[in-house]
Amino acid sequence: MNLILIAMILALLIPIYEAWQDENIWQKMLAFASIASKTSVMILVVSVLRGDWMIGVVGVIILSVGNAGLMLLAHVIKRMNEA
Amino acid sequence: MNDSYIYVIVALLPLAAVMLTVQVNPYNALVIRGILGGVAALVYAVLGAADVALTEALVGTMLTTTLYAVAVRSSLVMQIGVLKDELGETDDRSPFFQLIADLQTIGSKYHLRLELLPYPNPQSLHRALIEKEVHVTCIERSHEDEHDSAEIESGRQPYHTAVRIHRLYDILQTELASPATTLTYVTATDSGEKH
Repeated sequence: MNLILIAMILALLIPIYEAWQDENIWQKMLAFASIASKTSVMILVVSVLRGDWMIGVVGVIILSVGNAGLMLLAHVIKRMNEA
Repeated sequence: MNDSYIYVIVALLPLAAVMLTVQVNPYNALVIRGILGGVAALVYAVLGAADVALTEALVGTMLTTTLYAVAVRSSLVMQIGVLKDELGETDDRSPFFQLIADLQTIGSKYHLRLELLPYPNPQSLHRALIEKEVHVTCIERSHEDEHDSAEIESGRQPYHTAVRIHRLYDILQTELASPATTLTYVTATDSGEKH
Protein backbone atom coordinates (compact mmCIF):
# COMPACT_ATOMS: atom_id res chain seq x y z
CA MET A 1 0.00 0.00 0.00
CA ASN A 2 2.99 2.26 0.45
CA LEU A 3 3.44 2.19 -3.30
CA ILE A 4 0.08 3.93 -3.73
CA LEU A 5 1.18 6.75 -1.47
CA ILE A 6 4.55 7.09 -3.20
CA ALA A 7 2.73 7.36 -6.54
CA MET A 8 0.43 10.03 -5.07
CA ILE A 9 3.44 12.01 -3.81
CA LEU A 10 4.96 11.89 -7.29
CA ALA A 11 1.63 13.08 -8.72
CA LEU A 12 1.66 15.89 -6.16
CA LEU A 13 5.07 17.05 -7.42
CA ILE A 14 3.62 17.82 -10.86
CA PRO A 15 1.34 20.74 -9.77
CA ILE A 16 4.06 21.99 -7.36
CA TYR A 17 6.46 22.25 -10.31
CA GLU A 18 3.72 23.93 -12.34
CA ALA A 19 3.06 26.49 -9.59
CA TRP A 20 6.78 27.23 -9.40
CA GLN A 21 7.42 27.61 -13.12
CA ASP A 22 4.31 29.22 -14.56
CA GLU A 23 4.14 32.98 -14.12
CA ASN A 24 0.47 33.24 -15.06
CA ILE A 25 -1.53 33.78 -11.86
CA TRP A 26 -4.46 31.63 -13.01
CA GLN A 27 -2.15 28.71 -13.76
CA LYS A 28 -0.84 29.08 -10.21
CA MET A 29 -4.41 29.07 -8.90
CA LEU A 30 -5.12 25.88 -10.89
CA ALA A 31 -2.03 24.27 -9.37
CA PHE A 32 -3.18 25.42 -5.92
CA ALA A 33 -6.59 23.82 -6.41
CA SER A 34 -4.96 20.62 -7.64
CA ILE A 35 -2.60 20.49 -4.64
CA ALA A 36 -5.40 21.25 -2.15
CA SER A 37 -7.49 18.36 -3.48
CA LYS A 38 -4.54 15.96 -3.74
CA THR A 39 -3.31 16.59 -0.20
CA SER A 40 -6.75 16.05 1.34
CA VAL A 41 -7.23 12.83 -0.64
CA MET A 42 -3.81 11.72 0.60
CA ILE A 43 -4.93 12.42 4.18
CA LEU A 44 -7.96 10.19 3.54
CA VAL A 45 -5.76 7.39 2.11
CA VAL A 46 -3.43 7.56 5.13
CA SER A 47 -6.40 7.44 7.50
CA VAL A 48 -7.77 4.33 5.77
CA LEU A 49 -4.31 2.70 5.80
CA ARG A 50 -3.96 3.23 9.53
CA GLY A 51 -7.62 2.74 10.39
CA ASP A 52 -7.54 6.09 12.22
CA TRP A 53 -10.97 7.67 12.05
CA MET A 54 -9.87 10.94 13.65
CA ILE A 55 -7.54 11.69 10.72
CA GLY A 56 -10.30 10.57 8.37
CA VAL A 57 -12.78 13.10 9.72
CA VAL A 58 -10.16 15.86 9.48
CA GLY A 59 -9.44 14.84 5.87
CA VAL A 60 -13.13 15.05 5.00
CA ILE A 61 -13.43 18.50 6.60
CA ILE A 62 -10.32 19.80 4.80
CA LEU A 63 -11.56 18.37 1.51
CA SER A 64 -15.00 19.96 1.84
CA VAL A 65 -14.29 23.42 3.31
CA GLY A 66 -10.63 23.97 2.34
CA ASN A 67 -11.52 25.27 -1.10
CA ALA A 68 -13.46 28.25 0.28
CA GLY A 69 -10.17 30.14 0.65
CA LEU A 70 -9.44 29.37 -2.98
CA MET A 71 -12.77 30.86 -4.02
CA LEU A 72 -12.17 34.06 -2.01
CA LEU A 73 -8.65 34.48 -3.38
CA ALA A 74 -9.86 33.90 -6.94
CA HIS A 75 -12.50 36.56 -6.48
CA VAL A 76 -9.98 39.14 -5.25
CA ILE A 77 -7.60 38.37 -8.13
CA LYS A 78 -10.43 38.65 -10.63
CA ARG A 79 -11.40 42.06 -9.23
CA MET A 80 -7.76 43.14 -9.46
CA ASN A 81 -7.50 42.17 -13.12
CA GLU A 82 -10.69 44.05 -13.96
CA ALA A 83 -9.56 47.30 -12.31
CA MET B 1 4.97 5.06 12.08
CA ASN B 2 8.35 4.30 10.51
CA ASP B 3 7.08 4.20 6.98
CA SER B 4 9.35 5.50 4.27
CA TYR B 5 6.69 7.72 2.68
CA ILE B 6 6.60 9.94 5.78
CA TYR B 7 10.07 11.28 5.02
CA VAL B 8 9.10 12.10 1.45
CA ILE B 9 5.95 13.90 2.60
CA VAL B 10 7.81 15.89 5.25
CA ALA B 11 10.39 16.88 2.61
CA LEU B 12 7.60 18.59 0.65
CA LEU B 13 7.19 21.20 3.40
CA PRO B 14 10.61 22.93 3.06
CA LEU B 15 10.23 22.64 -0.71
CA ALA B 16 6.99 24.65 -0.61
CA ALA B 17 8.51 27.10 1.89
CA VAL B 18 11.50 27.81 -0.37
CA MET B 19 9.10 28.29 -3.28
CA LEU B 20 7.19 30.84 -1.20
CA THR B 21 10.29 32.82 -0.24
CA VAL B 22 11.56 33.23 -3.79
CA GLN B 23 8.31 34.78 -5.07
CA VAL B 24 8.48 38.46 -6.05
CA ASN B 25 4.89 39.23 -7.00
CA PRO B 26 2.78 39.50 -3.79
CA TYR B 27 -0.27 37.87 -5.40
CA ASN B 28 1.78 34.91 -6.60
CA ALA B 29 3.21 34.64 -3.09
CA LEU B 30 -0.35 34.47 -1.72
CA VAL B 31 -1.19 31.53 -3.97
CA ILE B 32 2.02 29.75 -2.94
CA ARG B 33 1.09 30.48 0.69
CA GLY B 34 -2.11 28.53 0.10
CA ILE B 35 -0.08 25.64 -1.34
CA LEU B 36 2.21 25.75 1.71
CA GLY B 37 -0.86 25.59 3.95
CA GLY B 38 -2.19 22.54 2.11
CA VAL B 39 1.16 20.72 2.29
CA ALA B 40 1.54 21.62 5.97
CA ALA B 41 -1.93 20.24 6.73
CA LEU B 42 -0.96 17.01 4.97
CA VAL B 43 2.27 16.73 6.99
CA TYR B 44 0.51 17.34 10.30
CA ALA B 45 -2.20 14.80 9.51
CA VAL B 46 0.34 12.16 8.47
CA LEU B 47 2.31 12.74 11.66
CA GLY B 48 -0.87 12.13 13.66
CA ALA B 49 -1.76 15.68 14.77
CA ALA B 50 -5.28 15.87 13.37
CA ASP B 51 -6.29 18.96 15.35
CA VAL B 52 -3.24 20.92 14.19
CA ALA B 53 -3.94 19.88 10.60
CA LEU B 54 -7.53 21.09 10.84
CA THR B 55 -6.44 24.44 12.30
CA GLU B 56 -3.77 24.87 9.62
CA ALA B 57 -6.24 24.16 6.84
CA LEU B 58 -8.89 26.53 8.16
CA VAL B 59 -6.71 29.38 9.41
CA GLY B 60 -3.61 28.98 7.24
CA THR B 61 -5.22 28.54 3.86
CA MET B 62 -8.50 30.37 4.32
CA LEU B 63 -8.29 33.18 6.87
CA THR B 64 -4.72 34.44 6.35
CA THR B 65 -4.99 34.21 2.58
CA THR B 66 -8.15 36.30 2.63
CA LEU B 67 -6.76 38.87 5.07
CA TYR B 68 -3.47 39.17 3.18
CA ALA B 69 -5.32 39.49 -0.12
CA VAL B 70 -7.32 42.40 1.27
CA ALA B 71 -4.20 43.99 2.76
CA VAL B 72 -2.13 43.67 -0.43
CA ARG B 73 -4.98 44.94 -2.58
CA SER B 74 -5.55 48.04 -0.45
CA SER B 75 -1.91 48.93 0.18
CA LEU B 76 -0.25 48.37 -3.22
CA VAL B 77 -2.16 51.15 -4.93
CA MET B 78 -1.21 54.48 -6.49
CA GLN B 79 -4.08 56.93 -6.26
CA ILE B 80 -4.01 59.51 -9.04
CA GLY B 81 -6.17 62.59 -8.83
CA VAL B 82 -7.34 63.84 -12.25
CA LEU B 83 -9.87 66.32 -13.52
CA LYS B 84 -13.31 65.00 -14.29
CA ASP B 85 -13.31 66.50 -17.80
CA GLU B 86 -10.22 64.55 -18.83
CA LEU B 87 -11.68 61.24 -17.78
CA GLY B 88 -14.61 61.98 -20.07
CA GLU B 89 -12.39 61.98 -23.13
CA THR B 90 -12.66 58.85 -25.17
CA ASP B 91 -9.76 59.37 -27.56
CA ASP B 92 -7.12 56.76 -26.78
CA ARG B 93 -4.44 58.69 -28.62
CA SER B 94 -4.68 61.78 -26.42
CA PRO B 95 -1.54 62.67 -24.41
CA PHE B 96 -3.49 62.15 -21.19
CA PHE B 97 -4.17 58.50 -21.95
CA GLN B 98 -0.58 58.08 -23.11
CA LEU B 99 0.57 59.43 -19.77
CA ILE B 100 -1.76 57.14 -17.81
CA ALA B 101 -0.59 54.18 -19.87
CA ASP B 102 3.04 55.08 -19.07
CA LEU B 103 2.23 55.29 -15.39
CA GLN B 104 0.48 51.93 -15.60
CA THR B 105 3.56 50.36 -17.17
CA ILE B 106 5.76 51.71 -14.40
CA GLY B 107 3.26 50.66 -11.74
CA SER B 108 3.05 47.11 -13.04
CA LYS B 109 6.83 46.81 -12.66
CA TYR B 110 6.46 47.50 -8.95
CA HIS B 111 3.14 45.59 -8.64
CA LEU B 112 1.30 48.85 -8.06
CA ARG B 113 -2.32 49.21 -9.06
CA LEU B 114 -3.49 52.54 -10.48
CA GLU B 115 -6.67 54.14 -9.20
CA LEU B 116 -8.00 57.23 -10.96
CA LEU B 117 -9.99 59.56 -8.73
CA PRO B 118 -11.91 62.31 -10.53
CA TYR B 119 -12.11 65.82 -9.07
CA PRO B 120 -14.26 68.68 -10.35
CA ASN B 121 -11.67 71.50 -10.48
CA PRO B 122 -7.91 72.16 -10.02
CA GLN B 123 -8.41 73.74 -6.58
CA SER B 124 -10.08 70.66 -5.09
CA LEU B 125 -7.42 68.52 -6.78
CA HIS B 126 -4.65 70.49 -5.10
CA ARG B 127 -6.42 70.35 -1.77
CA ALA B 128 -6.83 66.58 -2.10
CA LEU B 129 -3.08 66.26 -2.64
CA ILE B 130 -2.26 68.38 0.40
CA GLU B 131 -4.81 66.61 2.58
CA LYS B 132 -3.42 63.19 1.52
CA GLU B 133 -6.48 61.90 -0.24
CA VAL B 134 -4.40 61.07 -3.33
CA HIS B 135 -0.74 60.23 -3.90
CA VAL B 136 -0.26 61.84 -7.30
CA THR B 137 -2.12 64.50 -9.26
CA CYS B 138 -2.05 64.82 -13.04
CA ILE B 139 -3.22 68.18 -14.29
CA GLU B 140 -3.15 69.99 -17.62
CA ARG B 141 -1.06 73.15 -17.57
CA SER B 142 -3.73 75.44 -18.94
CA HIS B 143 -5.86 74.65 -15.88
CA GLU B 144 -3.24 75.86 -13.46
CA ASP B 145 -3.07 79.48 -12.47
CA GLU B 146 0.45 79.90 -11.15
CA HIS B 147 3.44 78.89 -13.29
CA ASP B 148 6.04 80.52 -15.47
CA SER B 149 4.84 81.44 -18.89
CA ALA B 150 7.89 80.25 -20.80
CA GLU B 151 6.97 76.62 -20.53
CA ILE B 152 3.43 77.16 -21.71
CA GLU B 153 4.64 78.87 -24.83
CA SER B 154 6.90 75.98 -25.67
CA GLY B 155 3.86 73.72 -25.26
CA ARG B 156 5.89 70.55 -25.23
CA GLN B 157 4.89 69.44 -21.77
CA PRO B 158 1.17 69.98 -21.50
CA TYR B 159 0.77 68.09 -18.23
CA HIS B 160 2.07 68.65 -14.74
CA THR B 161 2.41 65.72 -12.36
CA ALA B 162 2.78 66.41 -8.64
CA VAL B 163 3.86 63.63 -6.31
CA ARG B 164 3.73 63.81 -2.54
CA ILE B 165 5.48 60.53 -1.66
CA HIS B 166 9.23 60.67 -1.95
CA ARG B 167 9.80 57.03 -2.88
CA LEU B 168 7.17 57.31 -5.62
CA TYR B 169 8.85 60.49 -6.84
CA ASP B 170 12.22 58.72 -7.03
CA ILE B 171 10.70 55.87 -9.02
CA LEU B 172 8.84 58.15 -11.41
CA GLN B 173 11.86 60.41 -11.91
CA THR B 174 14.05 57.54 -13.02
CA GLU B 175 11.45 55.61 -15.01
CA LEU B 176 8.99 58.11 -16.47
CA ALA B 177 10.27 58.94 -19.94
CA SER B 178 7.04 60.48 -21.18
CA PRO B 179 7.59 63.87 -22.86
CA ALA B 180 4.04 64.92 -21.98
CA THR B 181 4.60 65.86 -18.37
CA THR B 182 6.83 67.59 -15.89
CA LEU B 183 7.35 66.09 -12.46
CA THR B 184 7.48 67.88 -9.14
CA TYR B 185 7.66 66.76 -5.55
CA VAL B 186 5.15 68.31 -3.16
CA THR B 187 5.52 68.19 0.60
CA ALA B 188 2.19 67.59 2.27
CA THR B 189 1.35 69.66 5.35
CA ASP B 190 1.32 67.04 8.08
CA SER B 191 4.38 64.80 7.80
CA GLY B 192 3.57 62.75 10.90
CA GLU B 193 1.57 60.14 9.02
CA LYS B 194 3.59 57.78 6.88
CA HIS B 195 2.26 55.82 3.95
